[in-house]
Amino acid sequence: MMLVVGLSHRTAPIDVRERFAVAEERLGEFSKMVHALDGVSEAFVVSTCNRFEVYAVAKNGAESPESAIIEAIAAWSKQPASTVRRLVYAHVDRDALLHLFRVTASLDSLVVGEPQILGQVKAAFECASIAGTLGPHLLRSVPRAFAAAKRVRTETTIGAGNVSISSVAVDLAEQIFGDLSQCEALLVGAGEMAEAAARSFGKRTLALRVCNRSFDRGAALARAIGAGVAPWESLAHELATADVVIASTSATEFIITHDMVKKAIHARRGRSLFFIDIAVPRNVDPKVHKIDNVYVFNVDDLENQVQVAQERRKIAHEEASHIVDDELAAHEHWSLALGVQPTLVALRDGARAIFRSELERTLATRLKHLGSEERAALEQMLDSGVSKWLHRPTVALKAAAVRGEGQALVEATETLFELSTDACTEPSQPSQPSHDDDTVRH
Amino acid sequence: MVWADLAFVVTALVYLAASAAFGIYLVGGPRAQSTLFATTAPFLLGLGACMHAAHIGVTSFALRVCPVESVHFSMSVLAVFVAATYLFVRRRFQLNALGAVVAPFALTFLLASRFAFSRLGETANPVRRVLLPFHIAANVLGIALFTLAFAAAVTYLFQERQLKRKEFGGLFRRLPPLEALDRAEHQLLLAGFPLLTLGILTGTVWARGIELGDSASIARAIFGYASWALFAAVLLARAAAGWRGRRAAYGIVAGYSFTLVVILIYLLRPAVT
Repeated sequence: MMLVVGLSHRTAPIDVRERFAVAEERLGEFSKMVHALDGVSEAFVVSTCNRFEVYAVAKNGAESPESAIIEAIAAWSKQPASTVRRLVYAHVDRDALLHLFRVTASLDSLVVGEPQILGQVKAAFECASIAGTLGPHLLRSVPRAFAAAKRVRTETTIGAGNVSISSVAVDLAEQIFGDLSQCEALLVGAGEMAEAAARSFGKRTLALRVCNRSFDRGAALARAIGAGVAPWESLAHELATADVVIASTSATEFIITHDMVKKAIHARRGRSLFFIDIAVPRNVDPKVHKIDNVYVFNVDDLENQVQVAQERRKIAHEEASHIVDDELAAHEHWSLALGVQPTLVALRDGARAIFRSELERTLATRLKHLGSEERAALEQMLDSGVSKWLHRPTVALKAAAVRGEGQALVEATETLFELSTDACTEPSQPSQPSHDDDTVRH
Repeated sequence: MVWADLAFVVTALVYLAASAAFGIYLVGGPRAQSTLFATTAPFLLGLGACMHAAHIGVTSFALRVCPVESVHFSMSVLAVFVAATYLFVRRRFQLNALGAVVAPFALTFLLASRFAFSRLGETANPVRRVLLPFHIAANVLGIALFTLAFAAAVTYLFQERQLKRKEFGGLFRRLPPLEALDRAEHQLLLAGFPLLTLGILTGTVWARGIELGDSASIARAIFGYASWALFAAVLLARAAAGWRGRRAAYGIVAGYSFTLVVILIYLLRPAVT
């Protein structure tokens, strides 16, 4: 039985989520702690800024370890168990698996389609792998969830477009200039909004300067974001050198006028100039947008783009959900078919042992004159015959398992052939199902 | 000639496949943007260009005609040069999406060459006979570069219009950035202009003494000089007054339109000595 216990942006605000956050270097340690609980056979822990979740598999026949996990979370986060119990959600079996698939496919993210979550779950899975807390169940299910997430990203537009003002601004700048690493950015003003946008550009551009009416405040922000500083008086001159200008002052009139930009574009010899005016009231005269090779986007323009991207993602969400459902169903079929694997292995081994024994007796008596090559050919023929003979029963057993009728057939097979599957348990490192595995997908 | 015909048909089919692959790359969903189409489409175009060049070689050998001494071969050579130049510059200027224009262009000119008049007029003058291949080769190479500059200019105007209107269609993010297009236009124009100038000069010498009583010849000369003047003006305005972006793109579109008229006159009526 698989279960997930946790909380996310859907159920808990940030001040609650931050109490449960686990640093990546300690994920393995916490996974080990959960793994050591009574009734838990496998575990891994995901902790991001938007979610904290413990995925676990219960031991066969054991009671649900939900309460034990909640107490472990309480001990780790130093919160009362009753508080944790009130805050967390828990999903079991198929619901837990579906939740895992949806989380990795970014369908449960705050910003649907954001690409980071897949990497974060992969990192958490890797930590658990190093900590040795994984087992056959999670080793089968989680990689399948990764594959489903990859399919969602490649087959739908779930990740298309940008859903934050900063990313839209960066995207537009890239559509104008291409590679921003050769561009210079200028931040006019030193407000919080400007800082967020400037950080997005600062990482990508060749140089970033801050130009603020109060030089000291501008210099302080420049130090904080690793930018240069320019005096307010040089604003007109700066427009001639900067390629991207982020305006965010609290001025109540236009501080960047049509004439100022006209002169700047002349000095730039027509090179494009991109204004991101995130100030309200606006800092850049809208008439500036009419100048050749100059583009001005204000908050409304950028938000319109964000809305368009969100609408597109909503449409893609439904399509992505279908893919997740398909992948989950395929995984369940494959897992069910895997249940008959011990019987199939015992049947094959039994048949092979009988035929080999007969062959060896014959080779020792009537066919003892045969050379090593002929003996090898006979053994190969025998193996091939066993495989062909068992092909139909294999397919029939797997199909019955997928239909939920596997147990009766397994019992009948084991009785008829006097098979013992005690030594055969689930394979510890099963191979992942492939999409063309038609024997288990119906 | 069976082999030549076969090469022609296969080349046309490969160009068609390249056009389709570029089209899917451009307008298809996220899967179409994947490595498969991004790599298959240029590969198909390259394969088409190689087969096209082989077709020209085989046919000109069989007919014992210099490829740059007849209109239909010149059209064919132009298509090969456009495809080759695109493949050579596409990474440098991030012009991958322009393959959606280049591949159909190559296909159109391959087909057009089949139905154009076959030979230019013969000339007994040895000086002119020597000049003719230079005249056509320079023009063909120049026009190949201008064709790409024109495609970049049209794409620039399309992208710039969306940015000015702040309304973005599905193609916006799949087409090259404005500055890359502007840079490509300028550099292709710079490379093509000396070739066009050589073409104009050799053409002027070659045409000396020909009576321009024929209206088609007069029109061809006028449009040829006009396109040269327009391209010169675009380059001069950019160097002297910083005219770039939209204005430069319009200049290139106008100059190339005149060039197209010259090509059409050639296609519809062969030169007469």
